[in-house]
Amino acid sequence: MLRIENLKKTFGKYHALDGLTMEVKQGALYGFVGPNGAGKTTTIKILTGLLAADEGKVWIDGEDAFGDARRVKEKIGYVPDSFGVYDNLKVREYMEFFASCYGLEGLMARKRCSCLLEQVGLEERTDFYVDGLSRGMKQRLCLARALIHDPILLILDEPSSGLDPKTRREFKELLTELNEQGKTILISSHILSELNQMCTDIGIIDQGRMILSGNMKEIMARVDQSNPLMIHVHRNMDKAMAILRSHGCVRTISIKDNCLSVGFTGDAQDEVLLLQRLIDAEVLIRGFYRQQGSLESLFMQITDHKDKEVLLYEGKPSI
Amino acid sequence: MRGNPVYKREMTISSRSIRLPMIMLIFNSILALAAFLNMYSVTTRVEVTAEISYSSFLQLYVFLTLIEFFMLFFIMPALTAGSISGEREKQTLNLMLSTQMTPAQIVLGKLLSSMFHMALLVVSSFPVIFLVFVYGGIRLRDLAVLLLLYISVALLCASFGLCFSAFCRRSTAATAMSYGFLVFLLLGTYAVNVFVRSIMQMGRADYANQVGLMTSQADSGVFFYLLLLNPALTFYRVVGEQVGNLDLFVQIIEESGNHPSGPLIGAWVPVSIGLQILLAAGFLLAAVRALTPSSGRTKRKKKYLS
Repeated sequence: MLRIENLKKTFGKYHALDGLTMEVKQGALYGFVGPNGAGKTTTIKILTGLLAADEGKVWIDGEDAFGDARRVKEKIGYVPDSFGVYDNLKVREYMEFFASCYGLEGLMARKRCSCLLEQVGLEERTDFYVDGLSRGMKQRLCLARALIHDPILLILDEPSSGLDPKTRREFKELLTELNEQGKTILISSHILSELNQMCTDIGIIDQGRMILSGNMKEIMARVDQSNPLMIHVHRNMDKAMAILRSHGCVRTISIKDNCLSVGFTGDAQDEVLLLQRLIDAEVLIRGFYRQQGSLESLFMQITDHKDKEVLLYEGKPSI
Repeated sequence: MRGNPVYKREMTISSRSIRLPMIMLIFNSILALAAFLNMYSVTTRVEVTAEISYSSFLQLYVFLTLIEFFMLFFIMPALTAGSISGEREKQTLNLMLSTQMTPAQIVLGKLLSSMFHMALLVVSSFPVIFLVFVYGGIRLRDLAVLLLLYISVALLCASFGLCFSAFCRRSTAATAMSYGFLVFLLLGTYAVNVFVRSIMQMGRADYANQVGLMTSQADSGVFFYLLLLNPALTFYRVVGEQVGNLDLFVQIIEESGNHPSGPLIGAWVPVSIGLQILLAAGFLLAAVRALTPSSGRTKRKKKYLS
């Protein structure tokens, strides 16, 4: 659906994008994350035609994004981090204005507006002035506006910033619903816990380069493998320690309140064998599990210490 | 015009705003007050001297059209200087640019909207301006020429207002630059001529003293043609011709020195209007260019950071 190759953009001496390469598959809900100044907004502005790239190529639905701007913009719906509303304009008029920006007029535009306002739950507010709506409603209106021309790719730049948790959850449900309806969605956000739950794919960008990308489940599985093995020992701690010290996959061991945190490099099979050895040695165990990884921990790991702990090859992480 | 979404939206918004009715009220009140005071003074004089001076009614025409001209001249930049930068401040400009609308359509929509406001002001002032027909002396053709001048001046003012609005991030900066340029057109073009001429005059006077000759008349050279861009001078030329009094126009031209400009003086109005329209087109193109992404603003890196 979206392919970016070696995208570069400089502002003076500052390299905002330094050879960014990424791919978003059709039907994906792609989380686009990175620290401040990583180049997320610059990328999104280039994709939406608001900024010209210095170098590189972008294809949207197989079409050169730097070619016919009208055709490309027809495929994209854009929700910026700000609402962008007009004083003295009603919800219906706001929608109809943006419909006319895409050449939709008359009955067709009105029907499309009504349908979208219903979808985002604003059908009761069509005659309200836009600047009188709450933040959550404005955000939903912005989403409806971005969908007015039925784009195949929806790009959202920090859509949840400034929203309360309830509104964020509603907005997330709305995006998931749209994704289930077949829309490809690229969402940039700082609220990683939300992306963790809803995204199918993720890309982490730092200093204008993609440092990690792929399917969310695969990435989280790799993250889990790098997390410590937690063993809650009820009795025979000495025996447990002796077994662990002699095990080839154990790298580090730390103890806190009869709970062992073990740096374990083995896979699921090795974990099963280790558990069997502990049980055979009459070590009583209350708990045995891998600590769950989160997108936040991965994000912090990669963006803070990527040169020490994460080695990358062919775009995939080796942790 | 009807197909431009920006124009339609501007019309919807302005129809709900108190701003336009207030501008029209003040604009027409000033014109009506000026007309009333002029007629009052004429009728009072008639009561005292029993003499009707028809030239006073022509003065009424000059006075009213002059006020209208200057009000248009100063109102138009105010209508346009904040239009694009205001969209940027409200963060709606990027929304529009991310749609299938082109920068040219956005600029055109804004221009049409401001020109429509200008047309409303001018048409609403017709009853007061047409008072002059009660006494005669001015033909409809004269008013048509005046209207053409108003349109060209409004177009020029709207265009440079839009241009500065497209380049400036803040409406206040755009407004300040628009009025700065307006003052340059009004006074700067004249001041440059007077200044250059006085410099040239000094040089020639020194030479004449050295060789014992009389001081010869200097002129402002090519800077003289800057006066063609001065809408006020063209206005004086149009109205002066209509009422048979070109003294002020001639005086200003003479202050820039002796120019072999007979044919140009004769064709002053069409040449000046043509140049103003060309300049307006240049400003509009620059505004479109400022909104086109490829033009880029690479030095403003902080604005684009994530």
